[in-house]
Amino acid sequence: MNGSFLLSALVFSPLLGILVLAFVPGDEEKSLKRVGVLGTTLPLVLSFILFAMFDTDKAAVQFLEKYSWLEFKSSAQTAMDYAISYELGVTGISVMLVLLSTIVIFLASIASLSIKENWKSYFMLFLLLEVGILGVFTSENLFLFFVFFEITLIPMFFLIGNWGYYQSEKAAFHFLIYNGLGSAVLLIVFVWLFMTTGTLNINELKEVLSTAGSYQVLSEGTRTGLVIALLIAFGVKLPIFPLHSWMLKVHVEAPPPIVMIHSGILLKIGAYGLIRFGVNLFPEEVESLAFLIAVLGVINLLYGAFVAFVQTDFKRVLAYSSVSHMGIVLIGIAALNASGIQGALFQVISHGLISALLFFLIGVLYERTKTTDISTLGGLAKTMPLMAGFMLAGGLASLGLPGMSGFISEFMAFLGLFKVMPAVAAIGALGIIFTAVYVLRAVLGITFGELHDRWANVKDVGVVEMVPATVLLGLIILVGVYPAVIAQSLQAVLTSMGIGG
Amino acid sequence: MVSSAWLIPVFPLLSFVLLLLFRPVKERAAGIGIVLSGLSFFLAAGVLFAQFQTGNTLTEATWLTIGSTDITMGLEINPLNALMLVIVTLVSFLVHIYSRGYMAEDDRMTMFFAYLGLFTFSMAGLVISPNLLQLYIFWELVGACSFLLIGFYYYKAEAKAAAKKAFIVTRVGDVGLFIGMLLLFWQVGSFEFDAIFSAVEEGAVEGTTLTLIAILVFIGAMGKSGQFPLHTWLPDAMEGPTPVSALIHAATMVAAGVYLVAAMFPLFEASPAAMTTIAVVGGITAIFAATIGLVQNDIKRVLAYSTVSQLGYMMLALGSAGYVAGVFHLMTHAFFKALLFLAAGSVIHAVHTQNIKEMGGLWKRLNVTGTLFLIGSLAISGVPLFSGFFSKDEILLAAYSDGRYVLFALGIITAFLTAFYVFRLFFLVFMGDQKRPATVTKINESPKVMLFPMVVLGVLAVVSGYVNTTWFGTFLGDWLATGPYDVVHEHGEGAWWIPWLASLLAIGGIALAWLMYAEKKISHDWLSKTMPGVHQLLFKKYYIDEAYDNSLVRGTTVFSYFWHYFDKFIVEGIVAFAVGAVRRVGKAGANVQSGQVQTYGAVAFAGLVAVMVILALTGGYFG
Repeated sequence: MNGSFLLSALVFSPLLGILVLAFVPGDEEKSLKRVGVLGTTLPLVLSFILFAMFDTDKAAVQFLEKYSWLEFKSSAQTAMDYAISYELGVTGISVMLVLLSTIVIFLASIASLSIKENWKSYFMLFLLLEVGILGVFTSENLFLFFVFFEITLIPMFFLIGNWGYYQSEKAAFHFLIYNGLGSAVLLIVFVWLFMTTGTLNINELKEVLSTAGSYQVLSEGTRTGLVIALLIAFGVKLPIFPLHSWMLKVHVEAPPPIVMIHSGILLKIGAYGLIRFGVNLFPEEVESLAFLIAVLGVINLLYGAFVAFVQTDFKRVLAYSSVSHMGIVLIGIAALNASGIQGALFQVISHGLISALLFFLIGVLYERTKTTDISTLGGLAKTMPLMAGFMLAGGLASLGLPGMSGFISEFMAFLGLFKVMPAVAAIGALGIIFTAVYVLRAVLGITFGELHDRWANVKDVGVVEMVPATVLLGLIILVGVYPAVIAQSLQAVLTSMGIGG
Repeated sequence: MVSSAWLIPVFPLLSFVLLLLFRPVKERAAGIGIVLSGLSFFLAAGVLFAQFQTGNTLTEATWLTIGSTDITMGLEINPLNALMLVIVTLVSFLVHIYSRGYMAEDDRMTMFFAYLGLFTFSMAGLVISPNLLQLYIFWELVGACSFLLIGFYYYKAEAKAAAKKAFIVTRVGDVGLFIGMLLLFWQVGSFEFDAIFSAVEEGAVEGTTLTLIAILVFIGAMGKSGQFPLHTWLPDAMEGPTPVSALIHAATMVAAGVYLVAAMFPLFEASPAAMTTIAVVGGITAIFAATIGLVQNDIKRVLAYSTVSQLGYMMLALGSAGYVAGVFHLMTHAFFKALLFLAAGSVIHAVHTQNIKEMGGLWKRLNVTGTLFLIGSLAISGVPLFSGFFSKDEILLAAYSDGRYVLFALGIITAFLTAFYVFRLFFLVFMGDQKRPATVTKINESPKVMLFPMVVLGVLAVVSGYVNTTWFGTFLGDWLATGPYDVVHEHGEGAWWIPWLASLLAIGGIALAWLMYAEKKISHDWLSKTMPGVHQLLFKKYYIDEAYDNSLVRGTTVFSYFWHYFDKFIVEGIVAFAVGAVRRVGKAGANVQSGQVQTYGAVAFAGLVAVMVILALTGGYFG
């Protein structure tokens, strides 16, 4: 498929918006916002074209682009050449994540209309972030993945620090340190693989690593070590308990549109990495660690749920809820069967949509009330029936109500784990109860009950704000009612990963 | 006819979608809801009759593929499902009509009808499920609708608490069902009922595992059907509008647990331990809830405890292998309990209170409502010739012929208590001196739109028992036995005295209530005077809510706070340390850059030496 430029065009299409923004004066608020939103529209359109052209029956990487980039020979003793190429491509998994990203980012750009200052630099960073994200999901080699991965960090750092709430700079700093440490670990893994196998291409790596001879260069012990390192590197991102505290700060301090992207997509890089590099490259070693991963998943699930139950700030409830929901991803991965991995991937997409919806609503709410404290709010269903309706629907989706996306992922992840570790799975299933407890406490605390006088004149969701809310809820229901829309794309690639039954 | 059965859930779903999207004005919303639920009912009735000819049908399509397993959705029409469809759509249709009058004053009537539509869709979807997963999906959806409707008066703190409680307590049960379902899948390799039953029959599931799974599934049924100890949400659910109490919390959704046990009967039957569990839980729930109902003063709460008690009866029947008895009572109960709730709603509509101590002598003002309430009371008491008489006898016979004599005795006592508490209501509300709350000036009979559905239910509360009698024939039982799996359908002969004893006790209960509350020959505070402790225990519902609050709720809260502080101090502490360390390294790095070139040179030289040593030791670059 060499010769297709679609992926490159897609990944770098946000640059066009940045270019245009560069020529718009910094005080023209309307034009800047318009360009910002339009800038995310182009990748959105391209990703739909990609999805339409994608052949779901094929397991192989599609839309492959490959150009040699760097090449260096090592010392004469080794026969290996070290070549790094620029390689983009998509599989059934990444095509869904690309689609999720462009949709959530587009909707987040609409949510960004509420940004109050420095629109020019905001949208430029925003679009740069999109380049990084799209690059991460389309990179077919580890080096490129790492470069794009780092590209996401820089705009995020500034977006959190400059446009966030009171302690946003501290949050940005924590974000950078934690993710930086995660990157360092990741880099060690990648370099190690490169030096021992001579390739960075993911598919070539898979082939090399699955040959019997490869155990001479990379012993079983080393592999297990690498998988643990991956677990730490992506565990920061996902996040896995106890590496989660940086992301709480980001959830609380970053501006809502950025949290939509952060919670909706960036956390998912952790899940994507674990599946693409962990399960895909080292299936046997992951299997030997499956029990650990399952236990970590159950801890995430329950820990997040319990702590979320006593939070007073709705943003913190949702932050811990993310911790809890990412536990489902680990549970699915630990199962290492079709149902489990598919459940983990569904959870990635489902949580992306649900948390984007809920953080969008937080933005709507904060815009009007200047608070997200649950006890200060209350009874808002009276003055904001639409907001309350969306929030209730989002809450029900979050606690895994059938008919919405969250149920599908929960169901499949648990189905998978019940096959291999029924006892661990049964403990985890109790989390389903506690999820309902904390979600209802928070959502009903805000929308039900008596209305405080000070919210008597709060306006409901506006016309423009209806777009993200409706689209996200629509997608959540679509995935919940007709999950095959996603499952079809995943099927072939999961089979090729050796995960059939 | 059967081929268009899929439209039965579609009509009410359409009603939900239309009302939600277009927000028509109140009257039009009611009209849309009534017409669409009516269509659903007529179709369901047609399907029922068509089923007599066509027999059992099953239609399925693949919904989702996981690995090599196809998961399907579809619809199955067998006698049990066809009967449930008619009950659900009929009561729903009648409640739609009734709500047109009852909710007329409410500004949010459109939303109310939308929710009713969503509920009817979900409930219909539940009772046509050919597999356990589909059943679970709709099971959760009816729970969510129940939650939404209990919390319909969202601004009331009690409604908010009750809605939350209903969702969470039933979810405890649902997790049992969820775990049971997934375990069963890996035993059988399918969610399909057919596949499950044939696997069970072949003995593919080992005994202990089978019992475990059956009990887990039953825990789900306990939550939904308000069985002890998961009953606490159901009386609180009375915070919802009364038509909802009739539809969801009396006739249909709360019976879903009973339906689940019936629909998966072969699974339970294969495990004697599970059957005993069901029978014991049912029997205890029946008498337990009935005793609480004796002393409550809220008309809807008395009826709610009565519902819990009657659902316990049904479970007792099923656990005693009385499949037909359980399903039969499910049907008659749906009619007479919906009637009682709608009549209670009519009373509340007139006097604007639910406290029976503030009511009295309403017979003259509300004679239609009163007559219908009386019919419902006679039916639930098991007075001969009314529907409850026939179905309750079947249950008692089943328990007796299954050799469960203790549970049989509990059932008999419950029959007496039932007659007493329901007639306590009747006499307090309709007989005696006229009483009404001071704020109410005029008491009017409810409009025709509310009376009509009650009349229909009144007729059914009388005649529906005749579909299965020893006098005219056991049509219902014979028909149910034509289902997809074998059902033991034999009438417990030999115990000829049971109907007589039950009738006698029912009449005894009524007579006692009459003496205490109408004639006042016996002081009505007899119990609270002679045995204040017992009265208080019953009045406080055995302190179960308090026990839960002090153990589970408080325990969860304390536990959560512990982890909250753990997170705040321990985990954050580690972070602070890590961040601090990075800062110190940064500072140190800044200090190193002192500007002294000599130092730089020395460090660079030391580094070079180190590299060379390493290379020398390892023999070159990755040699």
